[in-house]
Amino acid sequence: MDRDTLRREVKDLLASGLRLQVASGDIPDDAPIFGEALGLDSIDALELVVLVEDRFHVSIPDEEVGRRAFGSVNALVDFILAERPG
Amino acid sequence: MPRRVVITGLGVVCALGGDVPALAAGLAEGRCGIGPLTLFPYRGRCRSAAQVPEAVAAGALPSATARRLSRPDRFALAAAAEACRAAGLDAGLRRAAALAVGATTGGMFETEEVYRRRRAGEERRFRLSRVLGTPLSTAAAAVSQALGIYGPQATLSTACSSSALALALAADAIRRGQARVALALGTDGLCRLTYAGFDALQALDPDRCRPFDRDRRGLSLGEGAAALVLEDAEHAHARGARARAALLGHGTATDAHHPTAPHPEGRGALAALRAALAAAELPPEAIDYVNAHGTGTPQNDAMEVGVLRAVLGRRLARVPLSATKSQLGHCLGAAGAIEAAVTVLALDEGIVPPTVGLRAPDPAWADLDLVCTPGRHAPLGAALTSSYGFGGHNVTLVLGRAEGR
Repeated sequence: MDRDTLRREVKDLLASGLRLQVASGDIPDDAPIFGEALGLDSIDALELVVLVEDRFHVSIPDEEVGRRAFGSVNALVDFILAERPG
Repeated sequence: MPRRVVITGLGVVCALGGDVPALAAGLAEGRCGIGPLTLFPYRGRCRSAAQVPEAVAAGALPSATARRLSRPDRFALAAAAEACRAAGLDAGLRRAAALAVGATTGGMFETEEVYRRRRAGEERRFRLSRVLGTPLSTAAAAVSQALGIYGPQATLSTACSSSALALALAADAIRRGQARVALALGTDGLCRLTYAGFDALQALDPDRCRPFDRDRRGLSLGEGAAALVLEDAEHAHARGARARAALLGHGTATDAHHPTAPHPEGRGALAALRAALAAAELPPEAIDYVNAHGTGTPQNDAMEVGVLRAVLGRRLARVPLSATKSQLGHCLGAAGAIEAAVTVLALDEGIVPPTVGLRAPDPAWADLDLVCTPGRHAPLGAALTSSYGFGGHNVTLVLGRAEGR
C-alpha cells in the first residue's frame, strides 16, 4: 500500500472510528493527533490504540511508543510502515 | 409552614417527538407512537414498540456531545436541557440544584451491540467507548457534567416506578430545604434484554397495547426520557418563574409479593395511593383526573381499578381516567417522569389526554369515565399519576394546579 492510500485510511479510521465531527479530508497531516485540532481526550487515546492495532497489525505497547506513533497523521503513517508485518 | 413544591420546567423525548411541544401536540391529536420495532432485529411473538424516531434520537444533541453517550443518556441530556431552558435556570441556579434520575437498563442496547459485533467477528477486542454507558449512573453523570449541576445527586432503580421515585425524592430534598431547585428525570431505551424478557413473560400485546379494553392482551414497550424542574414555590415566585403545576404529595409502598405480578388486591398500590393523598392533605373527592399506570396487561389494569375504587369510591365514576402508555408505550424507568410531565400538561392546559386504541371498555368498568380518543378539554384542580414496578415497587404522585404560587 502506498503512503497516500495509507494516509487516507488512517484519516478515515480516525473520523469514523472515533465518531469525529471533522470530515476525514479535513484532518491535518502534520498537527499532533492529540492537539487542539481534533478535540480528542484520554478515552480516544485508548480507543485509537485498539483501532490502529487491530486494523494495521502493529503493536503500541506503552505510552512512549504511543507518543511517537500519534505525533501526527504522517508520524502514524511512518510508524505503521515501519512496524507492520510483511 | 411546609415548603410547597412547584414544577417550573419540563423536557421530554419520546415516540411522539423530541420536545414538549411535540408531546403536547401528540396528546392533543390523540396520536399513537407505537409502530414497528426497527432498532434491532427481533424474531419473537411481537414486533411493535413506541420507538423514538431515528431523526429525533440523532438530532437531539450535537454529535460532538453525543458521540459516546448511550441512547438513554442522549435522551436524558436532551430532556434535561429542555427542562432547564424552560424553567429559565441560569448557570448559578443549575450549580446548586439537586439531581435525581430513575432508570432501569442504562446502556444495555449499546452493550448488547458490543457482544453482537464480537460474535459476528466485526470487532476482535472490546472497545472502551462501547461500554462507557453501561452503568445506570452514567445518565446523571452526563447531565450533571453537561449542565453544570453540582448539588446532591442520586440514581434510583425500582423497575417501572424508578423515575416516579426520583420525583418523590427530589421533592423531599426541596421540602427538607436541602435544595431550592431539583431536576428529576427518568430515562430508558429499548434493548433486546427488555424486549425479549417481556415477550418471554407473554406480557406484550403483539399488536399494540389497549389499556382498560376488554380485549387487552398486554403492554407495548416504549422508550424516552422526561425531565422536570422542581422548585420551592417561594423561590420560583421570587425569581419570576412560572409554575406549571404543583407536586402536592407522594406515597410509596411495597407489595413484597412476587417478582413480576402485582399483588392481586394491590396491597402496595393501595398503601401508596392513601399515603400520597394524606401527604397532599387532599380528600379523594378533590381528584379530577387519574393518569393511570395503565399498562394494558389484564392483571395490572384490574388491580389498578380495584385500588382506585377502594380509595375514590363513588367519586371514581366521575373522574376521567386515561393511560399515557396507549400513546407512548411503557417507557419503564422513564414512565413515571414522562407520565408526570403529561399530567402537568393536563393540569396546566386543561386537557384530558385519551387512552388511544381503547375500543370496548372492559364491561366490569362500564361505570367508569374511561377517556377515549380524541380526549377532551376540562379544567382540572388535582390529579393522580401512579407507577407500579416489577417486584412490587409502587409510587403515587399527587399533582395540582399551580395557583397560589
